[in-house]
Amino acid sequence: MSGPMVEVDSVSKWFGDLVAVSDVSFTVGPGVTALLGPNGAGKSTLLRLLTGQATPSSGSVRVLGGDPRADEAVRAQVGVLPQQEQLFEHLRAERFVEIAAILQGVPDPLDAARRALAQVEMDPDDTRRVQTYSKGMRQRVKLAQAIVHEPRVVFLDEPLTGLDPRQRAHLVDLMHGLGARGVCVLVSSHVLEEVERFGSDIVVIAQGRLAAQGDFHGIRALMDDRPMRVRLRSDQPSKLAGGLLDQGVVVGLQLGDDGEVVIDTEDAGAFARTVAVVARERDVRLDEVVPLDDDLESVFRYLVDPR
Amino acid sequence: MSAPTPLRPGLASAFTAVYSVLLRSQVKTGRLLGLGALAVVALLLGAVAGTGDDPLGDGNQVIGGFGLAVVVPVGALLIAASTLGDLAEDRTLLYFTMRPMPRWVIAVAAWFAALTVTIPAVAVPLVFSSLLTGQGAVVAGSTLSALVGVIAYCGLFLWLGLVVSRALIWGLAYILIWEGFVASAGAGLARLAIRSYTRSLLTWQTDVELTLADRSPFWSVVIPIAVGAVAVALTARSLGRRDID
Repeated sequence: MSGPMVEVDSVSKWFGDLVAVSDVSFTVGPGVTALLGPNGAGKSTLLRLLTGQATPSSGSVRVLGGDPRADEAVRAQVGVLPQQEQLFEHLRAERFVEIAAILQGVPDPLDAARRALAQVEMDPDDTRRVQTYSKGMRQRVKLAQAIVHEPRVVFLDEPLTGLDPRQRAHLVDLMHGLGARGVCVLVSSHVLEEVERFGSDIVVIAQGRLAAQGDFHGIRALMDDRPMRVRLRSDQPSKLAGGLLDQGVVVGLQLGDDGEVVIDTEDAGAFARTVAVVARERDVRLDEVVPLDDDLESVFRYLVDPR
Repeated sequence: MSAPTPLRPGLASAFTAVYSVLLRSQVKTGRLLGLGALAVVALLLGAVAGTGDDPLGDGNQVIGGFGLAVVVPVGALLIAASTLGDLAEDRTLLYFTMRPMPRWVIAVAAWFAALTVTIPAVAVPLVFSSLLTGQGAVVAGSTLSALVGVIAYCGLFLWLGLVVSRALIWGLAYILIWEGFVASAGAGLARLAIRSYTRSLLTWQTDVELTLADRSPFWSVVIPIAVGAVAVALTARSLGRRDID
């Protein structure tokens, strides 16, 4: 399939007065795509719309060309790892995944369940019920049930939560393996560094709106180049501030107490390259450089509304 | 990548899988204790009725006044309301609804799972209670009326458990206020109470008159079963329309 496997067209979803998703449009093709956004941005709502668990208030979603809510043929080719931890607590992992395989129409469900569990490094012969499992084990069981039927599209909602670093690396490899086979893997996360490992394609959601879509590095550069406020501390703050103004890399500054200078820059990259050079040239000791709005929330806010 | 033919589960295997999960999820200590308490009270009342001067009349009153008015509806409520309601609450329902199978399979499997637990937990103690009266007519009447009642109430409360939160409270309000009070006000309103039909079946078998229990045997079987079936259809419809968390 050469065209997009997932299409979101002018989708909005609201619950009473609360707008969870607002006029979002994007398409996703084969391979791994990250859905990035802070908590509460609307990622899970979007995934619920894409998996047919909820209907858009306006707009439409298409998965493999069909409606994931109404079309059973679409649901047959989709795997979902939901965010919530709860499973059928009285079942063993093997039975839980086998039930998923049966309900997906897999010809040999037990064998498929055992293979899927092995893929996520879980022991198919574990006799414990899933109610005794840790969060990381639950995540892996949820992933096993999502891939047991070898779906063409996989939606994963924060799949790395609760996993240790080695398990994370294994699951990222597994996702890349699926993507390399032409599976469309859409994986949500609120952690920028996590998303970097998923691959180059990302969709950024913030405040229920599409903030950006495209290559990770391009969007990362956009994030890095946004206007920033930085606090500097130096033994000669006035001299340092003058040097930075001369270089034209700051658009505003305030001198504070104890050698503090707070600057505003519209080119964080150029500022970062310049500040140490200016300090050295003017023989100023640079004690501290602290970005004041480098949290992910402010990055997303900027992407949504750059003014 | 070529597009393979999508896999679909067979209806029978899908039904069996959903049924087995839901059946096992019913086994919870608090619920079983509640059902056990109802059964013990029914048995005690049956034993007391059997030792009285008029075991047929007293047995009829015990089954009609307590068994069909409390044990059957409350027992069905405890089981059926949680069958899908618990899954909706803990958000595991999506492990069924995201699968490529018709929603009615889930609804019917849930109804059967609720019936599988409720019939032995509710109808069997009532039959034993009627056996203690020593009256064959009461045994036959309680068996038939309890089965019909369980079928209707399980369907009704299965749907209720899915569409409202705090289904136990709403269900108890229906049993106590609607069926126990409002629908007892007259023959017309009694037509809207399942209890009226189950009591009519008991009266038909025992020939002992109960108030507002004069429906024909045919309609007393057909209408409650139809109510259960319609409620299951509404459950399937709700599964298809509601947003799943």
